[in-house]
Amino acid sequence: MTAPRRPALETVFSALGDPTRRAIVERLLARGELSVGDIAAPFAISMPAVSRHLRVLEDAGLIERRVERQWRLIRARPEALAPVEAWVTKQRAHWNAALDRLEAVVAAETPKRRKS
Amino acid sequence: MSDTELRLERLIPAPPQRVFALWSEPEQLVKWWGPEGADIPAHAIDPHPGGSWRTTMRTADGKHHTVSGVYRAIEPPRRLVFTWAWENEHGARGHETEVTVTFMSAPGGTRLVLVQKEFESKESRDRHSHGWGSSFNRLVRLAG
Repeated sequence: MTAPRRPALETVFSALGDPTRRAIVERLLARGELSVGDIAAPFAISMPAVSRHLRVLEDAGLIERRVERQWRLIRARPEALAPVEAWVTKQRAHWNAALDRLEAVVAAETPKRRKS
Repeated sequence: MSDTELRLERLIPAPPQRVFALWSEPEQLVKWWGPEGADIPAHAIDPHPGGSWRTTMRTADGKHHTVSGVYRAIEPPRRLVFTWAWENEHGARGHETEVTVTFMSAPGGTRLVLVQKEFESKESRDRHSHGWGSSFNRLVRLAG
């Protein structure tokens, strides 16, 4: 059992930057826990390729595995998306504030004129 | 359509040439760059394709925040593309994104559209130049 980690934002973005891995996470979020075989089924890629994708997602904290008898089960960790959401929110706030200031600069230099 | 993660639109009450200058000329840019209450105590901006830019913002709490990147396209008065990454206290750049700003003449001034893409590298961006954001939005919805 490894201790819970906070993977770097880069790691999460990088993991989600691949369409197959995004599809895996979306499917896990929608369907709950799946076996490795169920995860691989919709994709026309080899099992080793699926395993590599799963390892990347696991390193990013986006999925976790457990073994139950002969089943290897995988589920998504939606909490791993929280830092990504926070990053987006911060960027949006930054630009909104900057554009407010841009507007203020333009307004200050525009000669007062009655709009027609 | 939302095929990117962050998209903002504003109507700025000045012609595109003027708004473009406010974005692309260093002495104009520092007049408004950064959040409310911040100023820019240091900047080095080379507004040419391939030129680099770097600004340090001092926020109201006295903290310094440095962000830097490279200009990928400068097409007055229509379009500006540059990379963007915050630097940590040791000057190491974090996750890099790409910002595209377009300026369109509109009744009342300029319609400004800002799109920031969150690819972790140029290679990744080139491979996944479409559909990232909408998938991401779906992910966040599903996760919620």
